[in-house]
Order: sequence, then structure tokens, then C-alpha cells
Amino acid sequence: MVTERRKQSEAVFRALADPTRRDILAVLRRGRHSVGDIASHFRTSRPAISKHLRLLRSAGLVVSRKQGTARICELNAKPLRAVNDWLADYEAFWNESLRGLKRYVEEEQ
Amino acid sequence: MNSTRADDTIVKEITIRAPAERIFEALTDPEQRLKWWGAEGQYRGTQMESDLRPGGKWLTRGIGRGGKAFNVSGEYREIDRPHVLAFTWLPDWEKDAPESLVRFDLKERDGITTVRLTHSGLTSESSRAHHQGWPQVLAWLQAYAEG
Repeated sequence: MVTERRKQSEAVFRALADPTRRDILAVLRRGRHSVGDIASHFRTSRPAISKHLRLLRSAGLVVSRKQGTARICELNAKPLRAVNDWLADYEAFWNESLRGLKRYVEEEQ
Repeated sequence: MNSTRADDTIVKEITIRAPAERIFEALTDPEQRLKWWGAEGQYRGTQMESDLRPGGKWLTRGIGRGGKAFNVSGEYREIDRPHVLAFTWLPDWEKDAPESLVRFDLKERDGITTVRLTHSGLTSESSRAHHQGWPQVLAWLQAYAEG
């Protein structure tokens, strides 16, 4: 059950584990925003928001580019697919296991 | 087999032509559990330790794809022989995954047993924080995947 995409999904899970980071994604879902704009939605300090954004970028959930002096951030939801794949692996695991249980118990009868 | 998936929970149901007691035994006896647990050609259990009582620990070692060793461990949370078996699930290959909960409900009728598996808390810390973030995240994912 150890696959490359699990490693990828780990970074996504880590990024999503924090409520502030999820709120940042919610802000970005409504469109592109500068770092200053995003920070204005939160009581948290701007350096703290920048730190959250760095983590979201490293997980691939946020992409950003420079525009003049501002840094514009955008949501990239593609890595969330890893979460779905991760659940799909568990589905496959339980499907197989329950079938195995049925086979094992019924054949013994 | 019926299955549903809501946010962070997998639910599966299978009907087995055997008494609940027999199935409960297959679920809890380490030697028997290794015989059916896993997916053929992909991963299989090789060793299991189990202290079957509420709060008791369990651990399964196995070999995964490509011959890589893994283990899953946890703690028994509810044991109501032969109706309910619930335990926590902590895989060693997911460093930051939250602890999730696996529950088997067995309902026997005329020697035929419906086994319902519920694996919950899979992608959320909601069991601790009751946060609404995850359903939202998965809804986005769906929108993007389908869009």
C-alpha cells in the first residue's frame, strides 16, 4: 500500500491539516489575490500568512507570480486529486479484504 | 457488495453465509486474520499481534507492492462479541495522516450474516475539531475533477 502518490498526498494532507490554510484556500477559490489582500481577511499577522502560503505552494495547492511589487496567488486544486486516489486505495483494500473474508469463512463451512 | 463514501468515511456491506460468531473469530484470531486480510498480489499480512480487549493493542506486519515491508497498528475501542468490533488504524506509511477508526458491525439472521465495515476519520481531524473544512475540500476536488 506504499506508493509514490501517497508521498505526494502526505504533503497535501499536511497543508490541509491547518484551519487557517483551509480558509486561505477558500479565499482563493473566489479568485486571484495578492498576499496583502489575503492577509487582510485574517487576524493572523502577515508573516504568518506568508508562511502558510509557502507551505501551500510547496504542496502545489497555490501558485503565485510577481506583478510589480505584489505577489499574486492562485488556487491550484489538482493536487487534491491525490486525496481522492488515497481514498480509492482504501476502497480497493476493503473490497479485497471483505471478499477474502467471505471466501475464507464460507469455504470453511 | 454495497458501498458508499461520504466525505471522510468508507462504508461497505457484504453478506456472508456463516454465523456471526464464526466471522467474529476470523476477524479477531491473528492466525485466521492473516489468511484473508489484504489484496492478493498486492499486499499481504505476515504477522499479527493482538491483545483483544478494550484499550488493548494490535499490530499487523506485512509485505506490500514491490516487497516493501509495512505495518498497521492500533487500539481496540469496542468489543461486543459477536456483534461489534472497533479499533483505531495507524498505518506506518502515512506520517501525517490522522488516526482513523475501523468498525465492523455483524448482524446475523438464519445463519447468514451481514457484515458492515465503516472506516471513518480517513481524511479529517474532525473527530477532534469538528471542522467543516474537509467536506468542502472534497467538494472542490469533485468540481475540478469533473470540470
